[in-house]
Amino acid sequence: MMGKFLIFDKLKEEGRSLLTEFESKELLKQAGIPVVVTKLAKNQKEAVLLSQKIGFPVALKIASPDIIHKTDSKGVKLSLNNVAGVRAAYNEIVEAVKKQHPNALIHGVSVQKMVRPGTEVIVGTSRDPQFGPFIMFGLGGIFVELLKDVSFRIIPIVQKDAEEMIKEIKGYPLLQGYRGKEPSNIPALVKMILKISNLIEENPQIQELELNPVFVYRDRALAVDARVVLE
Amino acid sequence: MQGKIPEKNDLALFFEAKSLAVIGSFKEAVFGGYVAVKTLLNSGYAGKIYPVNPSYKEVLGLKVYPYVKDIPGEIDLVLIIINCRAVPKVMEECVEKGIQAVILVSDGFAERDEAGVALQKEILGIARKNKLRIIGPNTAGIANPVNGLIPCPYAMGYERIKTGGIAICAQTGMINPQAFPYADLHYGVSKICDFGNKSDVDECDMLEYLENDPATKVITMYLEGIRDGRRFLEISKRVTSKKPVLILKSGRTKEGARVSASHTGSLAVDDQIFNAACKQGGVIRLEKFSEIFELPKIFSLQPLPKGDQLGIISFTGGVGVLATDEGEKYGLSIAKLSPETIIKLEAIFPGLGKTIVDIGPGMVGVNDYMSVYPEIMKTVLSDDNIDCLLNIAWADPSGSLTEGYIKTYKELQERYQKPIATWVYGPRLPGKDDLALRLEDLGFPVFSDFETSIKAFGMAWQYAVRKKGEE
Repeated sequence: MMGKFLIFDKLKEEGRSLLTEFESKELLKQAGIPVVVTKLAKNQKEAVLLSQKIGFPVALKIASPDIIHKTDSKGVKLSLNNVAGVRAAYNEIVEAVKKQHPNALIHGVSVQKMVRPGTEVIVGTSRDPQFGPFIMFGLGGIFVELLKDVSFRIIPIVQKDAEEMIKEIKGYPLLQGYRGKEPSNIPALVKMILKISNLIEENPQIQELELNPVFVYRDRALAVDARVVLE
Repeated sequence: MQGKIPEKNDLALFFEAKSLAVIGSFKEAVFGGYVAVKTLLNSGYAGKIYPVNPSYKEVLGLKVYPYVKDIPGEIDLVLIIINCRAVPKVMEECVEKGIQAVILVSDGFAERDEAGVALQKEILGIARKNKLRIIGPNTAGIANPVNGLIPCPYAMGYERIKTGGIAICAQTGMINPQAFPYADLHYGVSKICDFGNKSDVDECDMLEYLENDPATKVITMYLEGIRDGRRFLEISKRVTSKKPVLILKSGRTKEGARVSASHTGSLAVDDQIFNAACKQGGVIRLEKFSEIFELPKIFSLQPLPKGDQLGIISFTGGVGVLATDEGEKYGLSIAKLSPETIIKLEAIFPGLGKTIVDIGPGMVGVNDYMSVYPEIMKTVLSDDNIDCLLNIAWADPSGSLTEGYIKTYKELQERYQKPIATWVYGPRLPGKDDLALRLEDLGFPVFSDFETSIKAFGMAWQYAVRKKGEE
């Protein structure tokens, strides 16, 4: 059983519905969903310290409730290998965002571990006016965008549903390790999908949630980016 | 909001009505109160029929009452076929009489215009306030062949519908007796319900009613939208654990959704979400309108297959390749015959013991073909490798084989506990139709082509797997 998330009260107080990536990941972490190590740096000095603590290479991303598209706003720097790189990236991100969005509230910059790429999948939820909350699964990138190779179930789901929705997509052979590709850990994915279903079932104030991408490896599944929207 | 649906969800007042009032015109015509009363009398309805209209004294030998309040005794069900503007007043009169079930045939409601939407809201308000249920408006009503309750407001051209295990419900009158040759096809029905505009009684109410209806073995529906998705999912999970539910839903494409919104004024749901709900609810989705009549036959007439191995007896091997492709779509494989079966078939005539049992070539050499035919059918059906059998029967031009087929099938009845589907082909419609009807009368479903036969097995197998998953 998951307790009530404090972040819900915070957002209500601040009158906003979109969680930042950092907040989204914190919420997912509390819900027992594996997410890539992500810390919030309120200033340049903290960014450097956190990078050293997490270990290079790292990625820096703008943490602002007012910025929905971080990359478009020049708020993302990837594969930073040393202290100098982190220092420069921090300033560049904050300056670029301030220039483009002078009124944006900036919490700071999130510092994230750069993980090696796995098979990209997407897990998302939303609400249908007829059927209520539902969950979607698909392969990431062009598979979801171009080919719409996704499967759906109505929340709550049981283990069988999660297994079926993975097997149902046309790209399923890619997850099995097609042509020497690293096979994906399907049970870890099933577990992640079930946990998301539980999270949404127990927290009806979550309007939308999207883990995109999730990297799936031979031994685990890890959410790399996340977005949560409340009612 | 229009208030809560009455807690008592029992549609027995509709389908098991012991007394029925018909409010409408009793002028002789092809549509209206006169037709409904005449149909009821012809279909052997044993309940009381009360025609209601202040302008008539008598119709078809029955006394006509000016108003419902004038009817002595209780009334279970009312059929209203009057101008839409007069409906609210008549509904209030029904409420005063203590009536709880109304079939509202009248049109001019949500399907027409804004004023119609308001009028529909008004009558639904009256219903909800007074625990009265409505089927419709804009409906051709219901039918229950078991008790002869067929208050069809349109002239149907025949009197009775054969009783059987199939319940058919739709948001269209295209399933009602005036639109489908139930009698000519000897088609066995348990209940028919046209939801019309679906202002009150909807797919969930019908699923719950049919769940416990002993006459219904399989439920088939055509829907334009789902009223309450969560309730639909919950109920279908429960109902499909007892009997199969087959649904055709329009609005698969965005264009379709627009058409349906303007047609009966219902909401269309996103197709993929509905698809997901069907999977979770164990509902079988249909693709074509004709399937709502054809595919349920495999469930109402035959046992479920115990496996996915499909056997085929044919007059031509050519059908085999097509059958293999078709079977694959639904997870069926063409069965390999056991060595014993092959030996037995080869003894009947050489070359018969093939995967597709092709009786065509051997027929030429056998004088009395029908003397070996029962043996072939029985040998194939006895093979443990075969879970279901598609028999492709040729109705010869003179009809000389028909009696042989009938005799053979009679011997197969209830002996093998394996589903058998038949496709009848041949050069003359009378002979073909005669054989098909007689086979169905024996309880062996005949499908319009072999693809549909295989699809029927596919659906039956899908349902068998769903039932197994629950054990």
